[in-house]
Amino acid sequence: MSLCQNDIAYDAPEWLTGEHMTGTTIMAVEFADGVVFGADSRTSTGTYVANRVTDKLTQVSDKIYCCRSGSAADTQAIADYVKLYLDLQENETNEDPTVEVASRVFQMLCYQNRDMLSASIICAGWDKNKGGQVYCLPLGGMCVRMPFAIGGSGSTYIYGHCDNTYKEGMTEEQCLKFVADAVALAMHRDGSSGGMIRLAVLTKDGCKRLNIPGNQLPTFWSK
Amino acid sequence: MVSLAVDNMLVGKDEPKGFLFENCRRNAFMAKQGVTLPKARSTGTTIVGVIFNEGVVLGADTRATGGSIVCDLNCEKIHYIADNVYCCGAGTAADTEFTTRMVSSKMELLKLRTGREGRVISALRMLKQYLFRYQGHVSAALVLGGVDVTGPALYTVYPHGSTDKLPYVTMGSGSLAAMSVFEDGYKVGMNEEEAKKLVRDAIRAGIVNDLGSGSNVDITVIKQGSVQQFRPYEVICKKSERQGDYTFPAGTTAVKSSHDMVPFSALRVTDEEVMEIS
Amino acid sequence: MSILEYNGASIVAMKGKNCVAIAADKRLGIRFQTVSCDFQKIFPMGKKLFIGLPGLATDVQTFANELKFHTNLYNLSESREISPKVFLSMVSNFLYQRRFGPYFIEPVIAGLDPKTDEPFIASTDLIGCPMVTDDFVVAGTCLEQLYGMCETLYKPDMQPDELFECISQSLLNAQDRDAYSGWGGVVYVIEPNKITKRELKARMD
Repeated sequence: MSLCQNDIAYDAPEWLTGEHMTGTTIMAVEFADGVVFGADSRTSTGTYVANRVTDKLTQVSDKIYCCRSGSAADTQAIADYVKLYLDLQENETNEDPTVEVASRVFQMLCYQNRDMLSASIICAGWDKNKGGQVYCLPLGGMCVRMPFAIGGSGSTYIYGHCDNTYKEGMTEEQCLKFVADAVALAMHRDGSSGGMIRLAVLTKDGCKRLNIPGNQLPTFWSK
Repeated sequence: MVSLAVDNMLVGKDEPKGFLFENCRRNAFMAKQGVTLPKARSTGTTIVGVIFNEGVVLGADTRATGGSIVCDLNCEKIHYIADNVYCCGAGTAADTEFTTRMVSSKMELLKLRTGREGRVISALRMLKQYLFRYQGHVSAALVLGGVDVTGPALYTVYPHGSTDKLPYVTMGSGSLAAMSVFEDGYKVGMNEEEAKKLVRDAIRAGIVNDLGSGSNVDITVIKQGSVQQFRPYEVICKKSERQGDYTFPAGTTAVKSSHDMVPFSALRVTDEEVMEIS
Repeated sequence: MSILEYNGASIVAMKGKNCVAIAADKRLGIRFQTVSCDFQKIFPMGKKLFIGLPGLATDVQTFANELKFHTNLYNLSESREISPKVFLSMVSNFLYQRRFGPYFIEPVIAGLDPKTDEPFIASTDLIGCPMVTDDFVVAGTCLEQLYGMCETLYKPDMQPDELFECISQSLLNAQDRDAYSGWGGVVYVIEPNKITKRELKARMD
């Protein structure tokens, strides 16, 4: 069946045909009242930046968001499915879905289709049972709760920094600084992360969005 | 096979729907024998879209290529989706043509069912779910633009089914040249003339700098309640004029045999009767 | 070697004033070995409608049969002739259905509208992307040569006689530079009230 596809497709450069990847830095941190999200904004196909202002923080229900990394097509499709399932559940039970349920739906899709997908996702949000929660879903469909999670190609550069800087019981402001600094560090070193930093604070009152433009990124390490 | 088709027709069953894979095994076998399989016609293209203060401007070049041959000097790459939505296509020409056609018919049915004008986001959903299902094998790279109750909207759709929402977008092999023009010249809240001019410059950059793009600039302007199509908006590369006349006098070609046929109808009318409608 | 070159063929269609012409070579080969010099590549599909099918001979015949079957059904159920435009849609739909396992043919369509006698020429690629043009369409193994000849010889609004000379000379001179096609030629000139079929004298090497 091999000829079914690529043999009659035309040869074009990889930035045209290559799968659309979000070589990314994404991050989420739990704090007392909720969670803080952070992500860069670069979407690349090969070496070409296809979108420099991407929003990788995707809403799946009222107070649950996810950060997407991996294939853009795959993660968008997964997020759409989760949105659908959570919507259905919300309508049936007349209650906000919990973050744990959302992360399990993500896990179900990622695990059952693990041969076909390249998606690594951070699912986080706030619910009335457990407050702010962060769940990390790396490539194969594992799902684990963490106090903070980092993901994407840029995250490899900042594990040490994050472990060193993270403290339990940070305030919202401290969390925002922690996230912005870490994402900026990763964007500095990782070629496939870049653009601007998109931040979000999610609490029981809803979501607050913040952006740091590319020319105002933190540069604390160079001082 | 044929008798099966007749049977189906007699009992009113539909023909099989969707793609057919009956030749795949044979073709794979032939490929194994060492013959190369031919390439489909592609539109190595420059297509762009930009949002301005009243709506969306879409632009495209008009060259279609098959390998290094220019198959079509003036092909139409801005496809109709609905009265308020249009879509530029790059990639394998047949895929863009048929994918947009299918979504166009679905949008029409949606409009009839709901009794409202379709939204751009509906077309986007249909496109991305269809392309995701085929995992990039249907190679259509699209720029989708339109105006609906929520205002102007502009998206790119990649062959694997991922989408982006941006105020100015480019696609196809000339997208780099076109994007450099946009990054330089785009302003928030442009008027229609500025937007058309910018799109024309972007497509021109593709036509001049990318070998897969050529000929003319086509532009479609979509505003609330109106669509204007310029085909062509501008001819960038004119076809060269022939210097001499090479008319052959009648009788030049040696003919072995010639016979005239009166066009005969496949239908034989045996009886005809005009009936009045009461 | 491309599968389209396995049997060899070259086909061209041109539009004149109130008339169209379609021409093809007659060779059937297996690579460099010529098997027949009277192989049918142009098929009548309606009163004033023809399709030329260059490509793999087995697919040429299979596809021609399938098309004839469906045009016959169309004639019966609609009680009218199929128009070239509708026929083009039919051809491209059939080919796109087999997008992932195609027939190796690149059809060329020429005809007059059954009601208005408006000339129409078109072609599709092997997976059915339709292309309607105003001057000429070419397909087959000597596509490059045919493009060169047609670009030089074609004029708009030719009369049937002029059109015949133009298309014949384009075909003969193009196929002289192609090893895979040749061995005679056949030209159909389609006018509102008559169709002229001419067999051309050509090099037999």
